[in-house]
Amino acid sequence: MSDPVVVRVEGLTKRFGATVALDDVTLDVPSGQLCVLLGLSGSGKSTLLRHLNGLHRPTAGLVQVLGTDVVRARRLQLRSLRREVGFVFQQFNLVGRSTVLENVLSGALGRLRFPRFGVLSYPQSLRREALGHLERVGLGDRAFQRSDTLSGGQQQRVGIARALMQQPRLLLADEPVASLDPESSAQVMDLLFRICIEDRLTVLCSLHQVELALGWAHRIVGLRDGRVVLDRDARGLDPAEAMAVYQRVDPALPIAEQTGVVEASGVVEASEVGTWR
Amino acid sequence: MAVSAPPAPQSTSARLRVPWTRARVVMTGVVVVLTAAFVWSWRTIEFGFGELLGGAGDVANLLGRMLPPRFVDLPYIIELAFLTLAMAVVGTALAIVLSIPVAVLAARNTTLNRATYYTARGVIVLARAVPDVILAVIFVRGLGIGVLPGVLAIGLHSIGMIGKLFADAIEQVDEGAREAVAATGGGRLQDLASAVFPQVLPSFIGTSLYRLDINLRTSTILGVVGAGGIGFELQDALRSLSYDRGLGIVIVIFALILLVELVSSAMRASLIGNESTVLGAVKRRRTMGDLLLARRGQRIRGRDDVTAFDRAAMRPPWTRRRIVRTAYLVGTLAVLAWSVWAADANPVDIAGALPDMWRTFTQFVPPDFTTARSDIIEGMLETVAIGVVATVLGALLAVPFGFLAARNVAPARWVMYAARTFLVFERGIPELILAVIFVAAVGLGPVGGTMALALGSLGLMAKLMADNLEEVDPGPREAVVATGATRGQETAASLVPQAMPSFVGSFLYLLDVNIRSATILGIVGGGGIGFLLFNALRTLNFATASAIVITIFAVVYAIEQLSGWVRAQLR
Repeated sequence: MSDPVVVRVEGLTKRFGATVALDDVTLDVPSGQLCVLLGLSGSGKSTLLRHLNGLHRPTAGLVQVLGTDVVRARRLQLRSLRREVGFVFQQFNLVGRSTVLENVLSGALGRLRFPRFGVLSYPQSLRREALGHLERVGLGDRAFQRSDTLSGGQQQRVGIARALMQQPRLLLADEPVASLDPESSAQVMDLLFRICIEDRLTVLCSLHQVELALGWAHRIVGLRDGRVVLDRDARGLDPAEAMAVYQRVDPALPIAEQTGVVEASGVVEASEVGTWR
Repeated sequence: MAVSAPPAPQSTSARLRVPWTRARVVMTGVVVVLTAAFVWSWRTIEFGFGELLGGAGDVANLLGRMLPPRFVDLPYIIELAFLTLAMAVVGTALAIVLSIPVAVLAARNTTLNRATYYTARGVIVLARAVPDVILAVIFVRGLGIGVLPGVLAIGLHSIGMIGKLFADAIEQVDEGAREAVAATGGGRLQDLASAVFPQVLPSFIGTSLYRLDINLRTSTILGVVGAGGIGFELQDALRSLSYDRGLGIVIVIFALILLVELVSSAMRASLIGNESTVLGAVKRRRTMGDLLLARRGQRIRGRDDVTAFDRAAMRPPWTRRRIVRTAYLVGTLAVLAWSVWAADANPVDIAGALPDMWRTFTQFVPPDFTTARSDIIEGMLETVAIGVVATVLGALLAVPFGFLAARNVAPARWVMYAARTFLVFERGIPELILAVIFVAAVGLGPVGGTMALALGSLGLMAKLMADNLEEVDPGPREAVVATGATRGQETAASLVPQAMPSFVGSFLYLLDVNIRSATILGIVGGGGIGFLLFNALRTLNFATASAIVITIFAVVYAIEQLSGWVRAQLR
């Protein structure tokens, strides 16, 4: 249990048909570290995160999370691993028609044995616990509101509360603010990082906001075309060096021209480009 | 001829010729084939204007003898009406219970493997293929006269529609929510309960209520084949020539159907609100009750205050919305419990009937196509002919009502409401009930059946036409008005051309429905293959009966595929 390395990835390769999504990725994340993945859309960040809780299976390589060999894990082992790994999605992935509280409660499904439908099908102690998590993300009053009536930033906070409901040891976040406006993005990221630090959670989070990443993260890992191109301590890291990860064509180009290159390539959405400045 | 051919060397007259676009080819093909089919059908069932007028005279004569209606032994008739309702409710509930696992396995995203997927899809197609009335005849053979055969017939046949629409709804869910449940370590059943079920619930409710409306219409006729309910009483009244008593029974049936429709549209409005239902090909029906209750539903939603809840107990607050939902849930369960009691069809009996049903089914294999071969072919052709003639007549009759019921065509608001109300009432009488009456008026044979189907489809066709017209883009119409056109010119130049593809689509859908209905008309003496089937069952010729059922399945399935293909071409 006291293994200092929470995530161990060695020589991970993933191919979808002819495209190589991950190319020989090796990465160790020690306990309590806030590690941010930077990289263009399509550079393999989401794919990497989805290998860590077994939502994807690798073509080759080793993936070990919290001492479990994810590649060889059987169905039940995988479920008990997922119970300890929280996941925050880019598109929130809430059930829009269900209440906020029920969405948070679904984070406890791994701990429960039977199918549940409706808030009252969960024990009262869990309902109280869920309210506690909701209050922590500032949405205590909204417990019984339909979740599709919330704004994007609020929905992502519900997503965070759901992940906390799992009482996770590791938190994976896949571009948690990519669908939000700059202001809510900053709020949600601050909230997420503060909670993780308070709870001493190990975090692996993919992001586009270099400034936010440098402000909170312990370590920055850059991916390009499925390969690790940057891996170093966030302290003292020059923003320009981090931005270089986003460069597609020529690593030697000066920073000032880089945003232009990215926009012209049309790979990054306008909202993401806007949040850099 | 290419549309974009260079115009230079062509003469003016050549350039003024309408080009043969793909849509025009399909449209012309449809018109030519349908005209030919209509002429052939008209001859096949020996229909003529003489027969039509004579038949109309006979029906008028019969109606005269029906008036004034007499309510003999009204409490008993009402009891029978409620028994009929109970049969429809239990049958629909049975179908829902059976459809849920079938639908989960028949949805591409929740099925276990290829084998379960194709098996479940096969079950759905099969259930749809055999008409409920025919299933009822078979079950009455196996289980004896009573309500139980009716419940089983409705329950099994409805899987065809409910299972299909449930599966379609499941395939449309947002997969993200399911991924989230998987990521928390949830299992397969937890995924279904927490991520899939909440998303499909509104469409499940909509589909189930819609099917209940359909099944109630069916159950009023099942008594004719001995499957319990009010149908037997109606046929008895007509057979003993007490037509006024018959009309009394028809009025009770009609009142029951309207009552259930009002309740179900109220439920639809308050539980589903403005969310779209997945009735796919079948358009959502708007009734007066719908309009009234939709408005009330919105008012209730406005008063919700969800922030006031007990933080110690953490129970959902009793908002108005929750009160309404709970009331409907309790009401539904109460109706279901009463229905099970009234129909005397408890789950134990249903399960106990399974071996009997299986024994009955085994008598149907192998099918015998040879003994009654020419009869089967002749009967099937007559069935198709009845469907074609009835659809054409029904569509012609529907034109004025369809236009008057369209919001954007009706000369005044009250005209539209009057036309819509008339159509709701007109559709209230099930086709087979009409057929029973018409056969009593004009005698056995296809003429009575055809007239009944034509009248029965008038309401649906007019409703579909009105919807088609209302969906037309108003822009071009404005342009025509701006040229100083009269109201008639406006309609002819802007509305009709735009609505035409949907009209043809609705017509083909109706043809599909009518040929399906025509296969069972024979059971009440209205011509077609149903009579042959009914006789084969009565004389215990199960091998021939199954040959007939297979033939019906093949023809109905082929026509459905064909009309689906043509509709897709027009889109």
